Amino acid sequence: MFQQNWRQILFSLFSFVIAFIPARELQAQAPAGRSAASLNPAISVIGTFLGTAASAEAFRKNIDLGLHEAEFSFQAYVDPYAKADFFVAFGRHGSNPLAAEGEEGGLEPALEEAYLTALSLPYSLKVKAGIFRSAFGKLNLSHPHAYPFADLPAAYVNFLGDEGLSDAGVSINWLVPNPFHYFQELTFEFTSASAESRSFAKAAGNKFLYLAHLKNFFDLTENATLEIGLSGAFGPNDLDGHITKLGGLDFTYKWKPLRRNRYQSFTLMAETIFNHRHEAGGARVKSKGFYGFANYQLAKRWFLGGRYDYAEFPESGERHDRAVSGVLGFYATEFQKFEWQLGRIKPAGQDGYFQILLRGVFVIGAHGAHEY
Amino acid sequence: MLKIPNKFASPLIILLLISVSAVAGEKLNVVTTLTDFADIAKQIGGDKVEAFAIAKGYQDPHFVDPKPSYIIKLQKADLFVHGGMDLESGWVPPLLEGARNANILPGAKGHVDASKGVHLLEVPSGDPAQLRAQGDIHIYGNPHYWLDPVRGKQIAENICAALSRLQPQNEAYFKSNLEAFTKKIDAKVAEWQALMQPYNGVKIVAFHNSWPYFDERFGFDIVAFIEPKPGIPPTPKHLAAVIDQMNQIGVKVIIVEPYYSKDPCNLVASKTGAKVLELATAVDGAPEVKSYLDVFDYNLKKLIAAFQQIAEAGNNGK
Ligand SMILES: [Zn+2]
Repeated sequence: MFQQNWRQILFSLFSFVIAFIPARELQAQAPAGRSAASLNPAISVIGTFLGTAASAEAFRKNIDLGLHEAEFSFQAYVDPYAKADFFVAFGRHGSNPLAAEGEEGGLEPALEEAYLTALSLPYSLKVKAGIFRSAFGKLNLSHPHAYPFADLPAAYVNFLGDEGLSDAGVSINWLVPNPFHYFQELTFEFTSASAESRSFAKAAGNKFLYLAHLKNFFDLTENATLEIGLSGAFGPNDLDGHITKLGGLDFTYKWKPLRRNRYQSFTLMAETIFNHRHEAGGARVKSKGFYGFANYQLAKRWFLGGRYDYAEFPESGERHDRAVSGVLGFYATEFQKFEWQLGRIKPAGQDGYFQILLRGVFVIGAHGAHEY
Repeated sequence: MLKIPNKFASPLIILLLISVSAVAGEKLNVVTTLTDFADIAKQIGGDKVEAFAIAKGYQDPHFVDPKPSYIIKLQKADLFVHGGMDLESGWVPPLLEGARNANILPGAKGHVDASKGVHLLEVPSGDPAQLRAQGDIHIYGNPHYWLDPVRGKQIAENICAALSRLQPQNEAYFKSNLEAFTKKIDAKVAEWQALMQPYNGVKIVAFHNSWPYFDERFGFDIVAFIEPKPGIPPTPKHLAAVIDQMNQIGVKVIIVEPYYSKDPCNLVASKTGAKVLELATAVDGAPEVKSYLDVFDYNLKKLIAAFQQIAEAGNNGK
């Protein structure tokens, strides 16, 4: 596990040096003034408890409760040119402890993310190198404990992996100038395709995973925003280098009145993933996945949401998982939240069952800012 | 020394020189977190600056959403002014990192922490690891320092120093504006303190702990908060205790920020006969509040009117 990670780090550092050299030459600027105390990186620990109960007989255990993950993060500016972020997690794999196997032991450590971001590049560029969550879709960039529901949508699990897609490599991000002055950002990533994921696998030779994401953000009014994203990924799915192409479309509408942004909000989001897979012997698979989610803020600390999941598989467009869930969120403070989720799950080729998830997330230390 | 080959001058360098000379004649682009900083920047920078505030005056400065559209504003900023003291730590970092603007990153010429040199109140002592048990406490002290106009002079000085750094050719102009601003504040503070003199020591209740600098300057006394701890919503038990306390010592005024729910305040008011006043915490916090000085004019006028009404009601009752 760790050996694998070290290989990834070396690969990333190498790529980063290449991407980074011009920045140092172009930028000449006074170094940031720092006091001794600020030399320590901002440290935080995020704990996630997960409780699960399911009406299905098929599970080894059908009631479970425990610490699901402890995530340690270290973040700081390296110098006036760059910032470093490290996330180490001790956790069980997958968002559903009942569905995963072989985890009777303790929590396994994993280097979730470790990357350097160059912040002062010319031409509105930003470069990230290391191990990081891929810029595919809307949810994938943020950590699962930040999601407004207790598990990953089935489309993510089936096509990207139990915890979403992350890999080692380089990410180049360009703020696209446009005459309308709205936010448009183009991300291009090439990564080693060596991390665990359902759609991609490490191939022999230099077969990378290429990924692009275009994010468009519009202020509809002072209180409402719309984000539309397009994603594409292209990479090997087996040792021989057969190719999988993924396409993604994401849509997020948020209404949040500025004066009352702590009391009232409404979010509507939807994502679709399209898969086109080449297999040995010339076979082709076309399949897709979708989820839609609506979240309404009932009161300052209470949220009520509903999600519909539909997901075929990377290897098959014939079978599909389906689920409908309702989630009640209680956000005690910015440092602690709970989610109760009730779902009717219908896995492909199996009987449907009910599932209850109970998730508690808490943070100590420097609390990271939230992405919008 | 920069050498440009005469005949084959790189188009890139020419472009660079053109854009640099164009910038020199243009206005400085100032982006601030709060409306007060933007107003002060306009007063010091005059016609040499263009200022934009990210948070609206009626928005809770602790909880602004870091919308990507603000990144576009920051990308083009020459100067970025924030309140510091981790007031905006929940939303400024992703914006600064997204902006790809080395000129406004921490430590750069165009990065201003407005709290520099300001004497701070309520700096917590004791074990930092225990702080959050007291609610949303700020480790560097209470961050609402711009609600004291005398401390506002220090903010103006910080902004003036930064503007002079960026446009040394206009330093004299900025300094004379700073002097005028300082004089205006001194004159107004004397006037306001005289108006508040009769109400020195009057006890009031506030929703959130936004006012220690304001009440220190103008001499009234906040005896309780509607919030049990900063950032923690009121519980019935806490409200009952506040109602008891207010009835016992005769508190008749509750002040509340524009962005908090009025319901708990109205509930307490109905049980104590107190008046609920919505005060402005920043420029544009109310439609009438157009400038930094207006913030104090507006709030003090409202408070004095309420104090007078209560005094009259008290006299009539006798
Ligand atoms: Zn506060």
